[in-house]
Amino acid sequence: MLGLVLTTLRHRKAGFAGAFLALFCAAALVCACGALLETGLRGTIAPERYAGAPILVTGDQYVHQDKVKKGKVKHKAKGLAERAWLPAATADRLRAVPGVRSVVTEVTFPAEIPGAAPESSLGHGWESAALTPFTLAAGRAPSAADEVVIDAATARTARLHVGSRVPVTSAVSTGARRVVGVTREALPHQTAIFFSTDEARRLAGRSGAVSAIGVFPATTDAAGRVAAALKGTSATVHTGADRGRAEFWDAEKARIKLISMGGALGGTSLLVAILVVAGTFALSIQQREREIALLRAVAATPRQIRRMIGREALIVSLGAGALGAAAGPLLALWLRDRFRALGALPSTLNLVLSPFPMFAAVLAAVVAAWAAARLSARRSARIRPVEALGEAAISRRTGPFRIVAGLAFLVGGVVLTLVLSSLNTEAASSPVTMLTAIVWTVAVSLLAPVIARVTVTLLGPPLRTSPIGGHLAAANLRSRSRLVGSVLAPLTLLVGLTCTILFAQTTMGHAATEQANAGTVAAHVLGPKVPAAAADALRRTRGVTAVTEVVHSTVRVGLENYGVQGVTPTGLIRTMNLDVRAGSPARLDSGTVAVSETAAARLGVHVGDQIRMTLGDGTPFAPRVVAVYGRGLGFGDLTVAHDLLAAHVDDPRADTVLVAGHAGADALRSAVRPYPGVAVLDQTAVTRARATANAEVNYVAMGLIIAFTGIAVVNTLAMATADRTREFALLRIVGTTRRQVMRMLRWETLVVVSTAVALGTVVALVTLAAFAAGMVGSAAPYVPPVTFLGVIGTASALALIATVLPARLALAARPADVIGSRE
Amino acid sequence: MDDVVMMNAVSKVYGKGRGAVAALREVSVGIPRGRFTAVMGPSGSGKSTFLHCAAGLDTPTSGTVRLGGTELSGMNETRLTELRRRRVGFVFQAFNLVSSLTVEQNITLPLRLSRTKVDRAWLREIVARVGLTERVGHRPAQLSGGQQQRVAIARALVTRPEVVFGDEPTGALDTMTAREVLALLRETVDGMGQTVVMVTHDPVAASYADTVLFLADGRIADAMDAPTSDKVAARMTRLGAWN
Repeated sequence: MLGLVLTTLRHRKAGFAGAFLALFCAAALVCACGALLETGLRGTIAPERYAGAPILVTGDQYVHQDKVKKGKVKHKAKGLAERAWLPAATADRLRAVPGVRSVVTEVTFPAEIPGAAPESSLGHGWESAALTPFTLAAGRAPSAADEVVIDAATARTARLHVGSRVPVTSAVSTGARRVVGVTREALPHQTAIFFSTDEARRLAGRSGAVSAIGVFPATTDAAGRVAAALKGTSATVHTGADRGRAEFWDAEKARIKLISMGGALGGTSLLVAILVVAGTFALSIQQREREIALLRAVAATPRQIRRMIGREALIVSLGAGALGAAAGPLLALWLRDRFRALGALPSTLNLVLSPFPMFAAVLAAVVAAWAAARLSARRSARIRPVEALGEAAISRRTGPFRIVAGLAFLVGGVVLTLVLSSLNTEAASSPVTMLTAIVWTVAVSLLAPVIARVTVTLLGPPLRTSPIGGHLAAANLRSRSRLVGSVLAPLTLLVGLTCTILFAQTTMGHAATEQANAGTVAAHVLGPKVPAAAADALRRTRGVTAVTEVVHSTVRVGLENYGVQGVTPTGLIRTMNLDVRAGSPARLDSGTVAVSETAAARLGVHVGDQIRMTLGDGTPFAPRVVAVYGRGLGFGDLTVAHDLLAAHVDDPRADTVLVAGHAGADALRSAVRPYPGVAVLDQTAVTRARATANAEVNYVAMGLIIAFTGIAVVNTLAMATADRTREFALLRIVGTTRRQVMRMLRWETLVVVSTAVALGTVVALVTLAAFAAGMVGSAAPYVPPVTFLGVIGTASALALIATVLPARLALAARPADVIGSRE
Repeated sequence: MDDVVMMNAVSKVYGKGRGAVAALREVSVGIPRGRFTAVMGPSGSGKSTFLHCAAGLDTPTSGTVRLGGTELSGMNETRLTELRRRRVGFVFQAFNLVSSLTVEQNITLPLRLSRTKVDRAWLREIVARVGLTERVGHRPAQLSGGQQQRVAIARALVTRPEVVFGDEPTGALDTMTAREVLALLRETVDGMGQTVVMVTHDPVAASYADTVLFLADGRIADAMDAPTSDKVAARMTRLGAWN
């Protein structure tokens, strides 16, 4: 039996090439996703800045909550958006712990030098140099307020040396400083600027708080004693590799994101793989029906045929899976580079490459092929041995199982669509959107033969107006509705998935941009990183009536993330129109909050109610709701007073500053001249940039799945066309010219593509309407016509190329030879 | 007389209700062992259905079929397949061979499917009898049409079946090649004592048989022993085959 399987595989290479390619792509995708997932789960971050401190004490970067589920208490922790600071008194408590030799505190704040590496650039107090440790290569430690020491790498790139004067920008002050020392060391992923201890505390702006404490032990059991001493406080103790996580706590966010993205992407590609491979297998079995009927007649039981197909699938999938698993790490490395370039993956987080994802990829390929073979083998068992006897082409009715399954998936699609229309958080909505589109497509694929028959009946008469090509095409489509069905499925998947992925982003982006544009009533927008002093300078400019500083952060209500903006309440009405539905945002102060309508509905709050939340740096905050507004997508779910939020973010400088009044752009420019980097911005560009930041990461990830589907389309069409060599030869012999055969094929492709585009568009529109209803609040997805035409054009071009090229090959042989040769 | 196939009041109706078509009507006949039987009849007379029912490829609507003493009705597809591979050989008009397998692999395919050990001496003998000793390693595409049919005959013989069924085995061949194949079938009956049943519409082919059964309108209309092509043609003309 195995010998038979192997010879069949060797002989029918072309037929299995399609399945092989599909499985190879699936395995590579699953392997790459697995690598992302594993990086998320087990990725380690080496400490840099804190590498010299054996024990590191930092604030707690998590929100904790105990959830009671079925009588069991489950502890859940979610990461914070900003750095959590520690009370400086913690250091005093640690100094008293026996076994501790010395304790070093540090404050960290964003500070930049022009010309230095663009990576995260941080200011510190020189007293914390030992945490790395940094030592002086030249000069001396800073003592006066305007003195700084810079790291070796920065000194090199910015061409600085002891005695240079350099402008250092930070939230609190901007001005020239004197370089009094250059260190021997440098950090791989960050720029370090050291100030005198007092100046660093002033610039950090958090009196009585430190960002980290390094503990140098005298005894080996010191870590345990430190932990015991800190019991009951919010401080956390880190040793070994764990210190890296504490230092790059923002990489933690990326890690969590990688887990969810790797999972979602891997799951989607596995589903698509099963769909695509099942299609390819079904087609190859369809093309071998006569051979299978012969085997049945000669003496193979239906079970033997099923086993044979199963083993073919197993061997093909093992080969394709192994190759795909080998290619997977390369794909993962490429993805890593793309994600790094887009800022979705911090450079400190190294990709974890282990054999696990490779095994998972092989397993996924085998499972996908097995599932596909099971589905196709059902069909093969219905081939009766008598069919080997006749000369006539075999035609069969669509099986009842297929129709029932198709209807079941239709029902599933309806249910998922309804569920989707009620989801209003991105985390829940994104995966369900993909799943909904896939379930609809599966329903379409299962019902494809029926749909193909209906289409041909509808499109037959107009086709026949073209006397030769169209007429032949209509006849072919009518008699080969099953084949049309198997080509229709991947094309529909391609169009449906691409439209869903692209237009889910545009729908969100468009809604956010619309709201932000409509809501920004200020004359000018300035940014980025505008210090408070610059905002004050703008306020003093003639003709300026209101200046609104805007900072952004993320808070947690319970464990859930909410985007928050901090705005200057005074004069807000002249710069920002939040579309207030109740209350007044002018009453924002240190104890109040304004809430978007969707967030208010989700939280169940009204004006006057109180919300308990945790700010980005872990500070609990329980403000009263003073307003409910409509433009949550454009401005964020929550709005608080600027001064309040700025005190709880890492970088208190305003992301944007909105300026109202008749002052011209030039006047504003001259007002902010002392503050390097601050510029007058194009308002629409700002909102668009914010809307597309996240979209690009999704495009890269989902683009892979689209490419995979595209390969499947080419695959299926090429397989279907190449199998018609004999038919084309016959047409040629009875007098059809090559040109007429090609025209016939183009007509056929046109019908198939337009049907697939129609079906795919309907699938995407239904899914997107539900998505938009949930996320944006109106069931109107935003579909840019140019992009849509691009999708249709690409799908049509792919289909045409995949039909015409194999057809040319098939037509190249002399027709008489083709007819004369036997199977 | 010892009959390999016994058909008793076999009817086969395709479709249901008003569109029902009876392909066989109450056919009762025995196929004698060790003889060459040809089944003839005009198009639509039920020839192929007769063969399918007799060989266990299709199940009759009513009536019983016994093959080598085994009752076929009530067997499921797997049991029928197992019975076919032990007791029946087939030669079809065309597309007889699996294109990916060599001549020898095609011949031993039924043994491989039933996991039976190949009797090398027997294989050598039948390969020699069909005259393909030089070609066992070739693939079907490298053979002529007549050679392909001879491979099919060898495959039909390899399991030492009780009966070999042929469905227009010479239908796709030219006259000379057809004669070689028919002579080979005749030889298996005379030299090996094989039972052969062949459906054909060619009087020349039928003349190689010991007995010719004439089917018309789903019934056995006549039988003829020691046929010649002229007598068969004359009989067929009366049945209205060549009006």
